[in-house]
Amino acid sequence: MVTTTTTTTAPEKIEVFIDDQPVMVEPGTTVLQAAAQAGVEIPRFCYHERLSVAGNCRMCLVEVEKSVKPVAACAMPVMKGWRVKTNSDMTRKAREGVMEFLLINHPLDCPICDQGGECDLQDQSMTFGTDRSRFLDQKRAVEDKNIGPLIKTIMTRCIHCTRCVRFGSEVAGVEDLGTTGRGSDMQIGTYVEKMFTSELSGNVIDLCPVGALTSKPYAFTARPWEIRRTDSVDVMDAVGSNIVVNHRTGEVLRILPKTNEEINEEWLSDKSRFACDGLKRQRLVQPMVKGTDGELQPCQWEDALVVAAKALKAANGSVAAIIGGLADGESLMALKDMVNQLGGEDLCTEEVLADAGTGTDLRSSYLLNTTIAGVEEADLVVFVGTNPRFEAPLFNARVRKAWLYNELDAAMIGPDVNLTYDCEHLGNDSAVIGQLLDGTHPFCQRLSAAKRPMIVVGSTVYSQPDLLAQLMQLAQKVRSGCEEGGEWRVLNILQRQASQVAALDLGYTPGVAAIRENPPKVLFLLGADEGTISRDDLPKDTLVIYQGHHGDVGANMADVVLPGAAYTEKPGTYVNMEGRAQQAVQALTPPGQARHDWKIIRALSEIVDVQLPYDNLKELRTRMEQVAPNLTRYGHVEEANYFAQATTLAKLVSDKGTGSVIDVPQKQLADFYMTNAITRASPTMAKCIVAVKKEAANKFVDPK
Amino acid sequence: MLSSLARSLTSSSVRTSVRGLHRSTVKCSDTLQVHRDSKENNIDTPFTFTPENMKRADAILSIYPDGHKKAAVIPLLDLAQRQVGTWLPITAMHEVARLLHMPRMRVYEVATFYTMFMRNPVGKYHIQVCTTTPCWLRGSDDVMAAIHTKLGLTPGHTTPDGMFTLSEVECLGACVNAPMMQINDDYYEDLSTDDTNEILDTLAAGKKPKAGPRSGRFAAEPAGGLTSLTEPPPGPGFKIQEGL
Amino acid sequence: MATYFGLDKFVKLFRILRNHGGIRASLYQLYRVDDLKDGVLVGEDVHGNKYYENPNLTLGRNRWVIYSPSVGTDYDGSMIPAEWFGWMHHKTDLPPTEIAPTAYAWQSGHEENTTGTDRAFMPYTTTKPKIEAWVPPKKL
Repeated sequence: MVTTTTTTTAPEKIEVFIDDQPVMVEPGTTVLQAAAQAGVEIPRFCYHERLSVAGNCRMCLVEVEKSVKPVAACAMPVMKGWRVKTNSDMTRKAREGVMEFLLINHPLDCPICDQGGECDLQDQSMTFGTDRSRFLDQKRAVEDKNIGPLIKTIMTRCIHCTRCVRFGSEVAGVEDLGTTGRGSDMQIGTYVEKMFTSELSGNVIDLCPVGALTSKPYAFTARPWEIRRTDSVDVMDAVGSNIVVNHRTGEVLRILPKTNEEINEEWLSDKSRFACDGLKRQRLVQPMVKGTDGELQPCQWEDALVVAAKALKAANGSVAAIIGGLADGESLMALKDMVNQLGGEDLCTEEVLADAGTGTDLRSSYLLNTTIAGVEEADLVVFVGTNPRFEAPLFNARVRKAWLYNELDAAMIGPDVNLTYDCEHLGNDSAVIGQLLDGTHPFCQRLSAAKRPMIVVGSTVYSQPDLLAQLMQLAQKVRSGCEEGGEWRVLNILQRQASQVAALDLGYTPGVAAIRENPPKVLFLLGADEGTISRDDLPKDTLVIYQGHHGDVGANMADVVLPGAAYTEKPGTYVNMEGRAQQAVQALTPPGQARHDWKIIRALSEIVDVQLPYDNLKELRTRMEQVAPNLTRYGHVEEANYFAQATTLAKLVSDKGTGSVIDVPQKQLADFYMTNAITRASPTMAKCIVAVKKEAANKFVDPK
Repeated sequence: MLSSLARSLTSSSVRTSVRGLHRSTVKCSDTLQVHRDSKENNIDTPFTFTPENMKRADAILSIYPDGHKKAAVIPLLDLAQRQVGTWLPITAMHEVARLLHMPRMRVYEVATFYTMFMRNPVGKYHIQVCTTTPCWLRGSDDVMAAIHTKLGLTPGHTTPDGMFTLSEVECLGACVNAPMMQINDDYYEDLSTDDTNEILDTLAAGKKPKAGPRSGRFAAEPAGGLTSLTEPPPGPGFKIQEGL
Repeated sequence: MATYFGLDKFVKLFRILRNHGGIRASLYQLYRVDDLKDGVLVGEDVHGNKYYENPNLTLGRNRWVIYSPSVGTDYDGSMIPAEWFGWMHHKTDLPPTEIAPTAYAWQSGHEENTTGTDRAFMPYTTTKPKIEAWVPPKKL
């Protein structure tokens, strides 16, 4: 007798042969993916791993044995026992033919094309194309589009791969680009005159396999082979995107994303990509000391350090420090050590974080605990007082990806902002949180039904301890109910500043309230440019030392200015919002007399007679490891799981916040571009704001 | 001179290695694939569906299941075009996008892809003359010449009074009744110069000429009567073995 | 006889010393140019450099210049103006005192090579600086 087994096992792998090389693949794998598994790369233009399959460039045609016609490898799932020939005569002839057709209407302007040297069409026509053309007619020409100050279009070069269109509709969620017309009249564009208004728009430059979409600020600047590349970490937001700094002769030319599946995949936000021209303007290149006339005068390092040191000594322990959003872990450590040794205790960050009973002792109450990649496993996300689209664009892109492919639902407590995906608006009244906690809100059922819910708490809630405490309790309540139990983390804090997590790890106090209450005699600003403390908050005789790389709010109020290095100019440790320590690598030397930040502090400490016990980066990092071991475990997310304790402490919070309306600072795209000293110095970001504001009056823009 | 030089260069054995001088005319598309604001067609062109067309739109939408309402974009665009008359203003596309909750770009894509959506104003009567080979062989040139003589129109232009627009189109699928032309929704087939003149006169007089073949045929049957299948069709059981 | 005993050398020495204006001036001359030569003063240029010739000396050493006392020991070959340069280098045997060179309207006066001095020409960049420094705003 035959017994039927009903066990559900993973579908069996099937065997296919790529160039007679056997590969076992999952059913449903495309020929192209199977070939990639076998280590054979099939040429392609329209296919992209992170976008849907279009199958319209036909470059990936390959021969399959017993198939009459060549098949498009990117769209064809493999069948059992297929023998794919990626280098047969038929395949080569097919590629040659496709390439000839693509080149029929492609201009031969490689010498003046910005894509030259990194152009897929150029490379592949060299490898797979013929050496002559049979086309004698006139080429098609398409007029260029103006889609904003970031992307330059030369539409005649377009080969209609539609990658940009698919990126817009799938990843960015901004359906401004499309294909109009048909046949040889087809073109990519916006049909009407409008801008590609997205915070991720720069990625289409990378996606474009030809020179149709190129970078406007980078136009005609350099060829790829002249460029030196340094892998580094971005600091424009707390995502910690991996970047490649492209530089030449001491100048950052452009910034490109570096693939990191756990953080930014292969995208990069526009601010991270295009703000690099801000590194060349408004820089502090010389130490300065305020003269008797009250004006800052350039001087030598020695003079500036001596003035600073005298003041620090005379302060007799009344020393405080505020750090800005771009500070690296090394300088944070050095500054903390120096100020503590001088007797100062008020080490503050500009960015606030409410003390929901736990202080900053429990890491899980200031991290994005689910991790960025973890969003893809979630099934419900509730944003509270945050606009992730502009505060962490790549995190938002992940949420959108999960919304699109994994049936993730999103809800929002706060202003009704456009997040590029459907998001249920629960109102902007903070009472909603209380209703959710006591179960009276209709949304509670969905929250408790969710298997893997996330609560993402944003900056607005930071300043209201009672709200944060309520949210902690809510998260813990939801968490105990959800299927995953102890493993799944519900509470997530969305940080906005690249330095914040490292600062909290090292024991800085969030917010400058302590300094306001107890003004010091010497205030040390480490890149603090948000103006959280102004001259009016301080006694007249307080000496302000500003150390940083840009002349901005901080330098304006300073008595002593010490020029530091920007993130591309120093080796530094940054911890991103999920608690992942990453190492930025020095690409350039700091301009003029500017120096690495930790070295300045180290030099200053020697003059103030509290010499710090480290002379090089290695020793400094050893010290960092002693204070916060996770800071030197580069690339790893340190587990943080103290929700139960945090909740217990949170219940004790009785401090009632004042505000009842939850708002976010960045609502429109125009609010996105300028958020720190570098972006405020960037002409490109300024152009973006002008363009986006002008675009708001454009009636052709889709109403939302 | 130059052409003979080009011929001598390209006709010899060096043809494959020498690029000839341009041999073809510049290929121009007859329509722009981008929107240009004009007096008649701009963002302020008023368009809303009339109440009765709104009912029609709802009926069209009810055909499509939830989640697939976007498939109604072509019928709705057609409805909008019919409401305006013969063409589709950009605001009508926006209205359709709004009804279907689609991004406007997706509607533009559809409207530009299909050549029967006229995205710029055309005359009250849009004359589309087929000049593809079968019609051309049967005298479509005469039809074009008749229209040109009568209305002074060349393809792509509209008469000053806004009554007629002439387009030269490729095969409209009525080859068996060649030559033919389409005016708005009607086919006029088996045309001669006189037929064309008569049709245009009738339209100009505000009347509607009879659509269909002009040669006396009912439809697409052979012009000289049937040459086969002349007998009545055999009934069931024809040529079947008796035993069955 | 005097030649036999080498007395003419002494005569010559005394003559040279006398021509240079005594022992003190001769020692200064030795200090300044490391040489004491007997020759005929051919001429003097506008800068005060004096040109001498002694045909008895070997070619290459028979014409020389004693730079103007105003430059002290800080003299340089480029202080010789163009008109004397030709005579010094045997391009011509006729010094400019005999045939004055044609004076053109476009000619400017002779200048020595200022390389290595404070007056040396230093090229400066005309390109924009790569890094624009912050200039503190003036407080009113």
